[in-house]
Amino acid sequence: MFETNKIAQGVNVHVHETTQFKTINFSIRFKDRLTVKSASERAILANVLQHSNAMYPSHTALRMVLDDLYGTSLYIDSTKRGDDHIINLNVETVNDQYLSDEGVLEKVMNLMYIVLFKPNFENGLFKENIFKREQESIVQRIESVFDDKTRYAQQRMMELGLPGHPASITSNGSIDQVKQVTNESLVAAYHHMLENNEVEIYVVGDVSPEVITAHIRDYFHFADRKQLPAKTENQLQSPKQSRVLEYEDMKQGKLHMMFFTPVTFRDENFPVMQLMNGVFGGYAHSKLFANIREKESMAYYVSSSYASQFGLMFVLAGIDRKLEEKAVSLILDQLGEVKNGHITDTELEQTKALLTNQLKEALDSARGQIDIYDQYMELSEDFEPAYLIGRWEKVTKEQIAQAAQGLSLQMTYFLSGKEEASDE
Amino acid sequence: MNKMEFNQLEETLYHEQLPNGLTVYILPKRGFSKTYATFTTKYGSIDNHFIPLGEKEAIQVPDGIAHFLEHKMFEKEEGDIFQEFSKNGASANAFTSFTRTAYLFSATGRIQENVTTLLDFVQSPYFTEQTVEKEKGIIAQEITMYDDQPDWRLYFGMIENLYKNHPVKIDIAGTVESIQHITAEHLYTCYHTFYHPSNMTLFIVGNVEPDSMMQFVKDNQAAKTFDEPAPIERIFPEEPKEAAVKERTLEMAVQKPKVFVGVKPERLDLYGPAMLKHELSAQLAYELLFGRTSDFYHEAYENGWIDESYSFDYSLESGFGYALIGTDTNHPEKFAQEVKKTIHQAVEKWPFGQEDLDRVRRKKIGFFMRALNSPEYIANQFTQYAFNGMNLFDVVPVLEQIEVADLQEAFAAVSAESQQSVFTIKSPEKEQA
Repeated sequence: MFETNKIAQGVNVHVHETTQFKTINFSIRFKDRLTVKSASERAILANVLQHSNAMYPSHTALRMVLDDLYGTSLYIDSTKRGDDHIINLNVETVNDQYLSDEGVLEKVMNLMYIVLFKPNFENGLFKENIFKREQESIVQRIESVFDDKTRYAQQRMMELGLPGHPASITSNGSIDQVKQVTNESLVAAYHHMLENNEVEIYVVGDVSPEVITAHIRDYFHFADRKQLPAKTENQLQSPKQSRVLEYEDMKQGKLHMMFFTPVTFRDENFPVMQLMNGVFGGYAHSKLFANIREKESMAYYVSSSYASQFGLMFVLAGIDRKLEEKAVSLILDQLGEVKNGHITDTELEQTKALLTNQLKEALDSARGQIDIYDQYMELSEDFEPAYLIGRWEKVTKEQIAQAAQGLSLQMTYFLSGKEEASDE
Repeated sequence: MNKMEFNQLEETLYHEQLPNGLTVYILPKRGFSKTYATFTTKYGSIDNHFIPLGEKEAIQVPDGIAHFLEHKMFEKEEGDIFQEFSKNGASANAFTSFTRTAYLFSATGRIQENVTTLLDFVQSPYFTEQTVEKEKGIIAQEITMYDDQPDWRLYFGMIENLYKNHPVKIDIAGTVESIQHITAEHLYTCYHTFYHPSNMTLFIVGNVEPDSMMQFVKDNQAAKTFDEPAPIERIFPEEPKEAAVKERTLEMAVQKPKVFVGVKPERLDLYGPAMLKHELSAQLAYELLFGRTSDFYHEAYENGWIDESYSFDYSLESGFGYALIGTDTNHPEKFAQEVKKTIHQAVEKWPFGQEDLDRVRRKKIGFFMRALNSPEYIANQFTQYAFNGMNLFDVVPVLEQIEVADLQEAFAAVSAESQQSVFTIKSPEKEQA
């Protein structure tokens, strides 16, 4: 799908030439090891670089030039995957051929260069007021998780259950660490990003791989990266508390459960575990939905998800706060069914069909193509969807049961309103 | 079968109205492996007062019934329809809005089987007192979940502020109390009135061959019998021009206060091309006043009155609409005051010229082109527009014709002081800094 060219040590350009879309998509990803400190710095850095630069020194000036380039969308976000922290410059611009204007693409590429390499410096530091403002923005972003009770409950469980582990570090770091970042340390983090991070550059659209690759090589002049730090081994340690109950002013009860599995993304049995998750709780035909929601009428949402990077599985449900015990027991009953191999042919076929459909559908967006390739490149350099689909096809009920047997419940976290406060 | 070609966009849309009244659209997308289909009835939460099909007297049905009906369509005597879609590798879903109920699937194979499932399950109601009772627990949890979401409460709080009588002010899912009154008989009455093919649109977009698919849908429909189409009599109350409530605050546990300034549009009777031109013009005017390149945004951001949650929107349907400008902020009063001041100043002296218009117009064209990469956007937006007599593919040509005076005129209808309202959510225990 993608044509890959290495333009420097640790810097690759991947181009997918296609007429499927009316736009051209770019994604430039800077990858670093994930720590609370690096995440905190890099979350601010993403915002500062997105705000303005030496050529367009105000937010308004930068946004105006983007509007003029037919509403070219440009944003920088910070995300994480496994023990990687990723700063991602995303750009999407209309293909020239749909416009009466030409030369938009070249202007957009030059703008990307300016955004990354010509920061809004004053005496070797980021402009102080912009730095302060964006630092404050990240603090507020972290605080706002509280207003989304599902995200908040999940975050609380991770903090309490796996403190310090990459699985519990968020892509924005922590309030404490964000506040400790100085303009000087941010500039150091910026240079570190440009000089030492692994860089993956993706382009999807009606473009020539040769022309785009040459342009990026000649204009962006990325230097060779030094040897990257090795992947960290992060053993999962059982949480200190296996059941936690917390209260906030709210009506619904949020039930979150965490399981460990020895099967991770890099494991031979990774596709089996994906199917296990689908049979158990990943879809609307899954056991959790069919039983806890449809049969028992206990929940509007109840589902499982598989965090393959770490070997974790989660079950989430929104229930009446009085029904925690019953819900946990029903969920474990359904897991017991999978462990005992009580899986129908229909359940198996449905899950294979939906996993396949989901993967194929994701490839119908440029963003999906980039995300999937970026993730699965690690498994095989010339990854094709057919590879995974073929692996799913072969999985049997016995294998799924066996994978389920490897799951161990580690923690149950319940967030709900207080007894007297939540009744109306 | 009719064919509309949009050369600049390189899209061709096929459509036909079938003898039973159903409107079918098919849009093939080159290079896509998925197909996305929506089967939508022009029936939403606002249609709660109407004359049932074949009767003479109007009835008022319990709040939340359109959404309840959407849930219940998935359950049949032989089981759950989600299971059917999964067997054929399709992800299915549905949603209810103020004006529409849409059933949908996306799949990369077995498209004819999935289209059959979609058409057949929506056209074969099955409700019993027992299954209706059972659903109440699930929907009560859904309502409770939304009750805990401050952004949802903020949005509905503002709509309640703007509208005095119009049913848009009623929460789409109703309340835990109101859904207790829903019976199987209610569901059948609503179903027979609003799910007639003549009130529905099927939109199929993606990896699809138009001729054979149209024939396939026709054969499916020809094998079923329906009543003669009859016009639907909906009854809407008189709605005053001005906002119902000027200012209101809700206490709820939030990290930071949340505030919306809302403006109720004056022209709620628009339809078709006039509506499209007005909506786009008003959106451009609001983009200039409150968008990321506006003086307002710059000042508000520099002063810390807004954060990353800042947003603004203008939306118009037949009978209701709203402009909303909002953010999480520690300075809700200051923010509201500045928004109102910005609107007031633009009313006093219109600040924008040709260059400004050209810039936001280009931005909007770019946004539209990006959106056309999404089959979901095309099907949903096209259907919503079609129910209001507009054609989605007219957006670019209409944008190209809009002049500065059009922005000014559209803005004049969404700016009067008496049409404005402020809604704030604050934590009860926290003192304001």
